[in-house]
Amino acid sequence: MTLRELIQPDRRWLDRPDGKRVVWVAGAAALGLACYGFSVGIWRAPLMGFYVAVKLPLLVLLTLVCNGLLNGLLGILLGSGLGFRQSLFALLSAFALVGVILGSLVPVTLLLAWNAPPPDSAAAATSHASYLVCHTLLIAIAGIVANIHLYRLLAVKAASPAAASATLLAWLGGNGFLGAQFSWILRPFFGSPGLHVQFLREDPMRGNFYQTVWRSLERITDGNALPCLIAIGLIAAVPVINALRQQHQK
Amino acid sequence: MNPNDTPGPEIPPNPATEPDTAVPAVAPPPLEEPLPENPDGKTLFEALLRRPGALADHLAKGESGKVTRLFAGIAVASFMLFGFVLGCFAKHEQLWASPLKVTVGMVIAGIICFPSLYIFTTLTGARVSLHQLGASLAGALALAGLLLLGIAPAVWIFAESTNSLGFMGWLAMAAWLVSAGFALRFLKSMVAATGGRGKGPLTVWSVVFLLVSLQMTTSLRPILGRSDDFLTNEKKFFLQHWAETSGESLPVEGSRR
Repeated sequence: MTLRELIQPDRRWLDRPDGKRVVWVAGAAALGLACYGFSVGIWRAPLMGFYVAVKLPLLVLLTLVCNGLLNGLLGILLGSGLGFRQSLFALLSAFALVGVILGSLVPVTLLLAWNAPPPDSAAAATSHASYLVCHTLLIAIAGIVANIHLYRLLAVKAASPAAASATLLAWLGGNGFLGAQFSWILRPFFGSPGLHVQFLREDPMRGNFYQTVWRSLERITDGNALPCLIAIGLIAAVPVINALRQQHQK
Repeated sequence: MNPNDTPGPEIPPNPATEPDTAVPAVAPPPLEEPLPENPDGKTLFEALLRRPGALADHLAKGESGKVTRLFAGIAVASFMLFGFVLGCFAKHEQLWASPLKVTVGMVIAGIICFPSLYIFTTLTGARVSLHQLGASLAGALALAGLLLLGIAPAVWIFAESTNSLGFMGWLAMAAWLVSAGFALRFLKSMVAATGGRGKGPLTVWSVVFLLVSLQMTTSLRPILGRSDDFLTNEKKFFLQHWAETSGESLPVEGSRR
């Protein structure tokens, strides 16, 4: 197995999810995410770097394991042409690609952490915000690339482009929904400058991601969270629908 | 399988919609003459500027060691000379410190962006080896260095005639961005010659590389102005540093900032 095989898979990639291949792909995902996680946390403290290096692969593992059955079922029901093992392997391959992309950017993100004003400086708040935006952008880019990659894998096996799109959207929805909550439970990742370095916050299961987002939105919009959320949903749906329509017209 | 993928019979042109004298919309690119077995430095230099496709074919044969060394040598020498020209602005210790910092900065930027270059290049579909890519990156940096050398006389004129740190900073940045644009275009053509098709991944990498190279101007400061310290421990993002110093001028002789 080579990195190139993972990044440029052939049409039979999902036909052979044997143990050795699964272990290699999972290892690539874990290593890439752990290295990237370390570079994310090290700005706050070296210990935080180690914590995030453990938590980032853990986040992916928990999401895949907990949604494994659902993803497998959705894959079969929506006509992806994949079985349970193949569905899991397809998603693992996509997460591995995220890990490889982010892992390859580790020298850059370490430079970013090294150059950012430290958490005990006067510019800590601005630095933390810039750091957050930079990493969010990098993760978003890696996520977009991985989803395009996943769509290509699905398109080879699915009965039709519509089935591939439906499966991808269903997986995205399910994994995104649960993954966001796991990221809430496993917080902190970036480490706010004013808070202690911890593996998990006290009482990590208290509250949930969506309630927090809702409350923040209510505060920002002065009580108009619902119309704001609908507007965001519509704006986000337009490019997705356009992309799907173009894909199906090909 | 998608029914649209199945090859169908070739559709004849419709006389009602096609012009009488049909010409191809885009002329095929002329074939590049391959490089000789053991090209000398002059041939490689010429290929760097004119025939990136032939250079990619040559590198694909696994003969990248000599090419990498040559291009790396050109890049280092060019950055040293451009750095010296920048050092002429503040003179004194900057005459040796600027060339060193400019060269080290570019080498570090190249090294830390190399792993992501490999991944993003592979994402475009290119089938390129690490050695080949190393030679391509060295070639891109050599090209950027040569272009900087071409701009250097103009930069030197301004270095001798202005005291404004902001003006010199932006001039040097403009020179670097123009040179880097050509260097990235060269890299893109090398990737295309090895089968790369998608533009997105390489565009993202180009942005990352440019940001890293721009951050080097702040991490290794002072490059233009003078200081009692060779390097500073204060951590800053380059935009903040530029915003703070763009209004400053070089201190008068005898004092330091």
